Amino acid sequence: MTGEELIDRIQKNVGVPWQSQRPDGFPDGIHIGKPESAVSGIVTTYAATVAVMRRAVVSGWNTIICRETPFYSRGERAPIAYRNASAPPKELTDKDPVCSFKQEFISQNNLLIIRFVDNWDARNTNGQLRGLVRALGWDHLSQNRNTDYASSAAAFQVRVASLANLARNIAEKLKIRAARVIGNPQSSVGAVAVTHGLVLVSDVERILREFRPDVVVAGDAVEWEAVPYFQDLVTAGRAKGLVLVGNEASEEPGMSEMATWLKTFITEVPVEWISAGEPFWTLRSA
Amino acid sequence: MEMTKDTMTRRRFCQLASSGIVLAPIFALASQQPGAGRLTARQVVRRIRQHVGVPWRTPTADDFKSGDPDAPITGITTAFMSTFELLQRSVSAGNNFVITHEPTFWSATDIISELKDDPLYQQKLKYIEDNKLVVWRFHDHWHARRPDGIFAGWNRVMGWDQYTVAGATPFSHEYLIPETRLEDLAKEMQTKLNVHSLRLVGDPDLKVSRLGNAGHYIAQCMNLLPRVDAIMVFECREWEAAEYVRDAIAVGQKKALIQMPHEGGEEMGMDECARWLQTFVTEVPVKFIPSGDPFWLPA
Repeated sequence: MTGEELIDRIQKNVGVPWQSQRPDGFPDGIHIGKPESAVSGIVTTYAATVAVMRRAVVSGWNTIICRETPFYSRGERAPIAYRNASAPPKELTDKDPVCSFKQEFISQNNLLIIRFVDNWDARNTNGQLRGLVRALGWDHLSQNRNTDYASSAAAFQVRVASLANLARNIAEKLKIRAARVIGNPQSSVGAVAVTHGLVLVSDVERILREFRPDVVVAGDAVEWEAVPYFQDLVTAGRAKGLVLVGNEASEEPGMSEMATWLKTFITEVPVEWISAGEPFWTLRSA
Repeated sequence: MEMTKDTMTRRRFCQLASSGIVLAPIFALASQQPGAGRLTARQVVRRIRQHVGVPWRTPTADDFKSGDPDAPITGITTAFMSTFELLQRSVSAGNNFVITHEPTFWSATDIISELKDDPLYQQKLKYIEDNKLVVWRFHDHWHARRPDGIFAGWNRVMGWDQYTVAGATPFSHEYLIPETRLEDLAKEMQTKLNVHSLRLVGDPDLKVSRLGNAGHYIAQCMNLLPRVDAIMVFECREWEAAEYVRDAIAVGQKKALIQMPHEGGEEMGMDECARWLQTFVTEVPVKFIPSGDPFWLPA
């Protein structure tokens, strides 16, 4: 199977019309590498970090399917409402020692780096959400209002004493050190909505309308957009808390779901999920 | 309510002014401060433009976001983020003019067209109107000032003017500090900057003497990291600085990242702003009110 054939097979199985071009940024498909290269093994991961690439190479696997691409940018040609930086200029990445190391490592090991985000998220069952909910251990909760994970958010009724308790449970389940919380730690909470990745104000508005939750759990948020929006929700008495688990922690379980899904139609090479791991520690976790 | 009296006064002034009769002493009732009640937000902004020392740009985010710029003001609050709670604290302090560095309505340019039906927007707007608040944003030009007003405040709080490496460009500040363990440096920053949600990448025992402030973006990180032991960023997407620095460490470099809440990087600049305003606004009180670190960390 070549890289090109792998993409073909994903497109045939994804179950939704394939969108090959985003309005801005990197499209899904082969991001780096030759389409005719033979696929020796597939790794799914949040980000193609140096550590993940090394582990793949040690195992003899040359194909990495990632959510975040190797050079620290989503490739936006222009910042979208200042949320995302434009990709760093080539003259900067060319002379950067970290980028040079990675570029060389990728070509020496003949790696295929594949981006698979928008079409994966567009599937009828949102794998990123289902993975996160399973990692939280909430998939069995009877109050799940979105059991088929048809959108990017779902809501649950949880039994915890307080927001502080809920946040601690989430950090333990996801094995993370750097969760950040908005709201009164002593607030009693019951209805919790979960979503993955970067949450925008429009996402929060939609989640509030649909689920009326006390708490929203998400990956991260822009600190002049959804963060103060949520602070204001709490002040206004319209919600009780926001738990940001980190972008990696919110997306990584979904990449495990992706590996499971790929194995249903790829049998000739190994398919494994390798977690990139939480990048941060905090003074509290030190 | 005090604010209602102001409004009545203002409405009456308009009636009287239009009929050719102006009773200036009415304004003295609006506040105990001599001269208060005459000064408007627009007049303050005019003075800011005269004093800031850089040409006024267009387009700019620095504009009135809510309220009547021509209403008399009772006092000025400078703030990093005009959150709902911050507005309440400004009202409690008796200041109806809020000068905020960051947005009021949750987008870079306070776009409200898509918020019209948002109940939170309506509630916040009603609070602003009920309390006769005026909100003006002071972002672009406070940064454009030399030295940058935000980082002048940051340096003052850290005591780091003495450690600034000459030739630094805006949002690319370099410091040469006495050698400090990464973890100790992070603790010192949390204490001095009054934040508590710093996130770190790297060895807690790494000795840091060269530190770069890489602002918000990956390009800034790539500019600085090769020259320094550690960079700090604030309000930077998580697929940028954190992934870059952990890869630098993975390839054998001795580097670290301090990722701050946005407030840790910039809030102290609005304390500086209050001190600066006091040099040319004397009719009403001017007070910095911290909006503070939005986050806490689970135990």
